Amino acid sequence: MDNILEINGIHTYIGQFHILEGVSVTVRRNAITVMLGRNGAGKTTTLKSILGLTPPREGTVTYNGKEIQGRRAYDIASLGIGYVPEHRAIFRNLSVMENLKIAERKKGDLESKSEFIFGLFPDLKRLYRLPGNHLSGGQQQMLAVARALVADNQLLLIDEPSEGLAPILIEQMMEAIRILSAATTVLLVEQNFVMASKLAEHYYILDDGRTVHEGKMADLVEDKELIHQFLGTALHKGGRS
Amino acid sequence: MRQGFFRRNATMVIVLGLIAVLGVIGWITMGQQPFVRTALSGLTIGALYFMVASGLTLIFGLMDVLNFAHGTMFMLGAYLGWQFYTNPTFLFGLFPLVLALLAGLVTSPILRGAFMHLKVSEKAQKTIQTAVALTGIAVIVLAVRGLDILGLAKTAMVATMTMGNPLAEASAQEPLALFWFRPVLMFIAGLLLATASARPGDQTQVVYASDKRRAWIITGSLLVLTVIATVFRESAPNAVLLWNGNLRFFAALVVGALCGAGLGAAVEVSLIRPLYIRPLYQVIVTLGLAYVLRETIQVLWDPLAYQMTRPPMFSQPGKAENILAWFSGQNLTVDVLGVTFPSYRLFIIVLGVLMVIALGLLMNYSRLGMIIRAGVQDRTMVEALGINVRRVFTIVFMLGAGLAALGGIGAAPFIPVQPNMGDAFQLQAFIVVVIGGMGSYSGAAIGALLLGLARAFGDYLALKYSLSPAIAEASTVIIMAIVLLVRPAGLFGKKE
Ligand SMILES: Nc1ncnc2c1ncn2[C@@H]1O[C@H](COP(=O)(O)OP(=O)(O)O)[C@@H](O)[C@H]1O
Ligand SMILES: [Mg+2]
Repeated sequence: MDNILEINGIHTYIGQFHILEGVSVTVRRNAITVMLGRNGAGKTTTLKSILGLTPPREGTVTYNGKEIQGRRAYDIASLGIGYVPEHRAIFRNLSVMENLKIAERKKGDLESKSEFIFGLFPDLKRLYRLPGNHLSGGQQQMLAVARALVADNQLLLIDEPSEGLAPILIEQMMEAIRILSAATTVLLVEQNFVMASKLAEHYYILDDGRTVHEGKMADLVEDKELIHQFLGTALHKGGRS
Repeated sequence: MRQGFFRRNATMVIVLGLIAVLGVIGWITMGQQPFVRTALSGLTIGALYFMVASGLTLIFGLMDVLNFAHGTMFMLGAYLGWQFYTNPTFLFGLFPLVLALLAGLVTSPILRGAFMHLKVSEKAQKTIQTAVALTGIAVIVLAVRGLDILGLAKTAMVATMTMGNPLAEASAQEPLALFWFRPVLMFIAGLLLATASARPGDQTQVVYASDKRRAWIITGSLLVLTVIATVFRESAPNAVLLWNGNLRFFAALVVGALCGAGLGAAVEVSLIRPLYIRPLYQVIVTLGLAYVLRETIQVLWDPLAYQMTRPPMFSQPGKAENILAWFSGQNLTVDVLGVTFPSYRLFIIVLGVLMVIALGLLMNYSRLGMIIRAGVQDRTMVEALGINVRRVFTIVFMLGAGLAALGGIGAAPFIPVQPNMGDAFQLQAFIVVVIGGMGSYSGAAIGALLLGLARAFGDYLALKYSLSPAIAEASTVIIMAIVLLVRPAGLFGKKE
C-alpha cells in the first residue's frame, strides 16, 4: 500500500452547515502532503473529519486499507494518527511534562521518545516543569508538535504550524518537520506558501469545502496563475515572511 | 522557582491569608472558647460541603453537566449506609437482583451482533425497541413485587425500641424456594432491556469482537456473583450485624460510597450519556431523576426522619481530656482548647481533610487526574490523543456520586436521615462551586472551607445580636456575590 490515507468525497456538516462538500485527498506514505487554501476553505474541518472529531456524513476515509469513518475519535487516533491542532491548542493548565505524558498510549512512550523530542526542540527540556501557560507562543507551538510525537504515530496531521511565529522560529519549525517526516508521514495544512513549497512533495488545494486542484508541488510553484487564483493572499503573506 | 510558586498560587495564598487574619480578629474579639467552638462547627459543615461540591465541580468542569441529582446521591448514601449499619438485610436482599439485572444488561454488544442483521423496516424497529423495553420494565416490576425486605419503615421503628439486640432490625427473608424466581426474572428483564438498547435491525452499527468477548466474560462473572449473592442473602446480614459496631460503621461508609458510585455509573451510562448532544435535556433528566429517587425513598421508608446511632467509638459517656485520651476512652465528646466538642464531628473534619488530600493526590499525581485536568480545559483534544473521554466521564460521575454518598453517610449520625436531607447541601455545594470556579477541585476545597466558616460564624453572630438566622444563610450568597465581582470565573476558575 503506497497510500497511508485516502479521503474519498467526504461531506461534513457542523450543526446545520454543510462545510465540506466533497473533499478527496490522498496521502502517500513517507512523504509530506500539504493542503492549501484560503481561510475558511475547510482545511481544518478536513483534518477533524479524518479524526472523527467532526465525522463525515458521506464519503469514505481509508487508513492503511481500512475504512475508519464513523469510528469514535479516540479509536481513530489510537490507530496511530497524531494531531497538532491549529492555534497551538496545548493544555495550558498542565506542565510541559504532563502535556507530553498525557499523549502516551503505552507506558514508557515518553521515555523512549524524549531524546528525539528534545533533539528537535531543545527549549522544551529547559521548560519541562513549567505550566503550559508560562510558555511563549513559539514554545507552545513546539510543545503541540512534540505532543504528537510521543506515541508511535504513523501519520501526523499538522494544522498551520507556522501561524503567528517569528521568521526564525518558522525556520526552526520547518527543520523539525523535515526531520520528523523522515520517520512519519505528514499531512500538513499551511498558509505560508514558502514553507509549504519547501517541505511538501504533493499538494491539494481546497476551496469552499471542495478539493479543486492537486498535483506535485514542483509543478505548482511554476503555475503563478493557479497560485494567484486560489491562494492569492496566502502567497503574499507567505512571500513576505 | 519559589517566586514562581507564589505567583502561581497567589489566589490560594491570599484567600488563606484572609481567613487567617479574620481568624485572629475573631479569636481576639470573641474570646477563645466561642471562637474555637464556632470554627470547629464551621469546619464540620465545610467538610460535608466539600464532599458534595468536589464531585459537582468535576462533573461540571469536565462534562458540562449540571447534576441536580447530586444532593440525592448524598441522601441515598445516608440511607444505604445507615441500612448497612442497622439492617443490612435490605441491601443483601436487593444485591442478587441488581447483579442479575446487570448481568442481563451487559450482554448488549452480544445481542447487537446477533440482532442487527434482522430484516425489519425502520418504523418497525422503533416499535420493537419500545415494546421490548416496556416488557423489560414490566418484568422488573414482577420480579420485585411482594419482596418482603421492603417493609423498611416498620423494621426501623422496631429497631429503635429494641436497642441492644443487634439482630433486632434484621428483617425476615423469603426462603430460597420462593426467592429464586426473582433474580431469574431480573436477568430476563436485563436481557430485554439490552435487546432494546441493541437496536435490532439497525445495520449501521459496528460491533467489535473485543467488545463481544468482554461482554461474555462480564456476564459470566456477574451470573456467578448473582448465585453467590443469592445463596448468602440470608446469612450475610446476620454475620454483619454481629460484627463489632465500629467495624460495621466503617464498612457502612465504604458501602454507602460504593452504592453511590455504582448508582452514579448507572445514571451516567443510561441517562446522561445519550444526551450529550442535548445539554439542556441533561439538566432536566437530573432534576427528574432527583425527584424519582426521592419519591422511591419515601415509598420504601415512609416520609419520616430517622436518627442513625453513632458508632461505639464516638459514643462512650464522658468527655476525653484531649484527642489522645479519646483514643482509649472513645468518648462522646472531646476537650479541644477548652471547648467540649462532639468527637464524631471531629471525625467528620478529619474525613473531609483526608478526602481533600486524597483527591489532591489523585488529581495531581495520577494519569486519571491528569486527563481530568486536561479534559476540563479541552476534552476534544484529549479525545484526539486517543483517550476514551466517555469512559473518563463515567469514572468522574462515579467518583462524584461516590463522594457525595460518602458525605451523606458521614452526616447521617448527626443530621436527621430524611428524603430531602440532600437539598440544602446541594444548594450550598452549587454556591461553593461557583465561588471556587467550575471544574477546580482545589476551588471546591477553599470554597467549602469559606462557606462552612461563614455559615458557622454567621449563626454565631445572629445568635449573639439576636438577628434572624437567615443572616447566616444569606452570608454565603453575599460571599458568592463578592467573589464573582472580583473574579467572574470564580477563585480558581480556568474554564473559558
Ligand atoms: N463550529 C463551526 N460552526 C459553524 N461554522 C463553522 C464552524 N467551524 C468552522 N466553520 C466554518 O467552516 C468553514 C471551514 O472552516 P475551517 O475548516 O476552519 O477552514 P480553514 O481551516 O480552511 O481555514 C468556514 O467557513 C467556517 O466559518
Ligand atoms: Mg484552519
